[in-house]
Amino acid sequence: MSLEVAGVRKAFGSVRALSGVDLSVPQASFFALLGPSGCGKTTLLRVIAGIYASDAGKVALGGRDITQVPMHRRNMAMVFQSYALFPHLCAFDNVAFGLRSRRLPKDEIRSRVAEALALVRLEHLLQRYPCEMSGGQQQRVALARALAVRPDLLLLDEPLSNLDQRLRDEMRVEIRDLQRRLAITTVLVTHDISEAFTMSDRIGVMQEGRIVQIGSAEEIYHRPANRFVANFVGPINELPLTQVEGDAGGARALLAGQFSVRLPALTRAGPPGSDLTLILRPQALRLGVEEGETANRYGAEVEDVVFLGASSECRLRIGPLRLLAALPAGSGAKLAAGDKVMVGWDAADGVVTDGR
Amino acid sequence: MAVDAANISSAGASASRLRLRPHWPFIAPLILVMAAGFAWPLLHVLVNSFHPNTPQGLDAEHWTLTNYRRLADPLYGEILLRTLRISAAVTAISAVAAYPVALFIARLSPRAQSWMILAYVSPWLVNTVVKALGWTLLLRSNGVINTALRAIGLIEQPLRLLLTETGVVLALVPGHFMFVLLPLWTAISALDPALSWAAGTLGATPAGVFRRIVLPLTLPALIVGLVINFIMNMTAFAIPMLLGGVRNQVASMLAYQVDLVSLDWPFGGALAVALLGFTLALVFVGQKLAVIGLSSRGGKPEVSPS
Amino acid sequence: MMLAVNIVMLVAVLAPVLLVVWMSFTPTASFVLPLGDFSLRWYREALSYPGFVDAFFLSAELAAIASLITIAATFLAAYGLVRFRPRGREALMAVFTAPLLVPAVVFGIAMLQFINQLGLYNRLVGLVLAHVILVIPFAIRSLVATLGSVPEELEWAAMMLGRSRAGTLWHVTLPLCAHGLVTAFLFSFLLSFSEVTTTIFMSGPSLQTLPVRIYNYMSDRIDPTVAAVSALVVMISLALVLALNLMGGFRRLAAR
Repeated sequence: MSLEVAGVRKAFGSVRALSGVDLSVPQASFFALLGPSGCGKTTLLRVIAGIYASDAGKVALGGRDITQVPMHRRNMAMVFQSYALFPHLCAFDNVAFGLRSRRLPKDEIRSRVAEALALVRLEHLLQRYPCEMSGGQQQRVALARALAVRPDLLLLDEPLSNLDQRLRDEMRVEIRDLQRRLAITTVLVTHDISEAFTMSDRIGVMQEGRIVQIGSAEEIYHRPANRFVANFVGPINELPLTQVEGDAGGARALLAGQFSVRLPALTRAGPPGSDLTLILRPQALRLGVEEGETANRYGAEVEDVVFLGASSECRLRIGPLRLLAALPAGSGAKLAAGDKVMVGWDAADGVVTDGR
Repeated sequence: MAVDAANISSAGASASRLRLRPHWPFIAPLILVMAAGFAWPLLHVLVNSFHPNTPQGLDAEHWTLTNYRRLADPLYGEILLRTLRISAAVTAISAVAAYPVALFIARLSPRAQSWMILAYVSPWLVNTVVKALGWTLLLRSNGVINTALRAIGLIEQPLRLLLTETGVVLALVPGHFMFVLLPLWTAISALDPALSWAAGTLGATPAGVFRRIVLPLTLPALIVGLVINFIMNMTAFAIPMLLGGVRNQVASMLAYQVDLVSLDWPFGGALAVALLGFTLALVFVGQKLAVIGLSSRGGKPEVSPS
Repeated sequence: MMLAVNIVMLVAVLAPVLLVVWMSFTPTASFVLPLGDFSLRWYREALSYPGFVDAFFLSAELAAIASLITIAATFLAAYGLVRFRPRGREALMAVFTAPLLVPAVVFGIAMLQFINQLGLYNRLVGLVLAHVILVIPFAIRSLVATLGSVPEELEWAAMMLGRSRAGTLWHVTLPLCAHGLVTAFLFSFLLSFSEVTTTIFMSGPSLQTLPVRIYNYMSDRIDPTVAAVSALVVMISLALVLALNLMGGFRRLAAR
């Protein structure tokens, strides 16, 4: 079923956790709520689940307004960061819990538990207790428990953050495959960018109780709505601009008061010359460009080169400006501190923001 | 780690010898105090219980088991029965009240919680004699309770509450309630809230969450508290003495009679040993019950890195 | 419904204590709840009754001495347990908290017979010893927690800078434990001051602590005088409890 959230607000005492959140998740899609800790994403998830009652706004599932429906009747299921497996019940009873709450006949319970545990490949662990399982196994039992009830909405609250890297990568793929196969509408909360990118169809970036951008991973990375989103999702170069002029056809400005720079078309209606910044991804900078290859081209001095294995990082200076460039494997080997090099980027690269 | 600390303070000696030495001067004083004031007197009274009593006092030359055989006398059976009856009644009432109070407190704000716990604990730190006086004032024929009940017309004649078992039970319930409340409240507070949320999202009603999640996980703590409560009831003295009177003798009052009036210390010793044995047996049983519950339970799951 | 049970229980727990205090202000010779005309008459009576005054000083003296001895010995033992982590650590803790398993009555009988047969009946020494034992289980738990909160690195730093272990204890550890020590002392004092059953069994005629004195008085008769002295006991106890609470002492002591 599809999920609609409109105008949700939630405050705890004087702390405003959610200040008006709207989002919609189409049926059978995978949506990620991404943001730093404290941004309200877990609070939003809990409001959707019915654990917290919102102060304002509404939540609708499959078109039906469920804002007033108590949590045990919403037919959603949640996987918690701590897994929240019932320690006094074995795996079978944990997975069967939701089915028993729905008073299903014993045979059906047995078959659905077996089905759910088979989905996560833990059929052999039926009688084990949580304290006798590894973290990865507990996580999968928690997932099976959620899937067994065939929920209309699956909620995942940072379910992978307690696992080590290798397991985490494995589980990301598994969960994504399961979600596609079962076509369950899913909302994931995470602060891990690669997790959001690899698992979801669409991402909502949250900052201080609000959703500041919704889009695909590609949109969010290359066309961030503001400085916060850009910086959260990956390293950036921030270049202050002055004497901005231009229109939808193209724009130009001055960098550091001396270098002329060609900008992408201005989409924001800011008064020319106001406080704007050019945000460039390190990957957008190209070293050793010839005359005419790129719209923007400047002489730079290398400050430092760091070898990172799959890539290298290069710190440069263009006049008073310091930039970070990402170089593919191997190409940094020939550079050393003090070298002079030409660096450039295309006019369409980067994003102009007003510094928020 | 112990070796590190020891190495810093006295370098140059072999590791295994070091482990025994440095801590003893620190621990020795307390051990001596415990030996002199705790172990020795208990051993002493144990030995006394095997000596016969004579009109001239304890006969240290001879040994006997008569003191223990005397314990089986039906005369004392009535006292034992009364003590058990009163203790069981108090524990039962406390058991019923435990969850409502503990759950109520656990849902308050942290500050309110600490004030509530303080309110329940502080009367314990006021001595029981003062509380017995308070209960006397409450339970007397023209005491607060009777006056109030007559004023609102519920009764015509005053209820006889003083010098009865009922009065003793009424006074002991709040007096020893703290021993049940604290362990239970601690266990409830230690529960991962995500467990209740998980159960809720899986379809359990609030009552279902209590019955299937909170109760099984906190029952061991309640059992421990009830055992302690029962022991305190069995061995209470001031309240049964002052509120129950000589016509409602309990075990501790018998002990007073034997040790301080008759001065029959061998028998008093046997009585003391029997009481202690009973207490330790109860504690043992209680621990076993609690462990059965705890073996595959507990608060948060152990997350191991694999 | 839960609220109702809670209110009933809370009232039952607090009522006897509050009632005693309230009743102590009665202006009449019989127990009539003072509703307006509060009188200090019975306080004057209580304070001029030598039995109560002597008993109060005895209780205070006993509590102070017992607490001091307990804190000193227990602090050292706690230090030994926390810093050196000896092999029998759990066993030793079990030994030190064992008095909790022995009912007050049983311990009173044991001390009565023991003290007498040592010829120490009716002497302060016996009472001090008994109270020390009763208080040790609480003190050891509290002080182990206090010491646990002082990082060992501080002591290593001090010793590397030249202090002996004893010097470090005195100059570094002790000052850092001051708060915990005061809390433990206050709690021990309170426990000793309120001790009833064991003390009744051990008390001779000339060594009556305040609770014992009140008990003996009440066995004879009940009048507002005893209410007044009891009210004073309540006020002292509650003052100590509040002091402890303000110092944050209860969080450490309430957790079993």
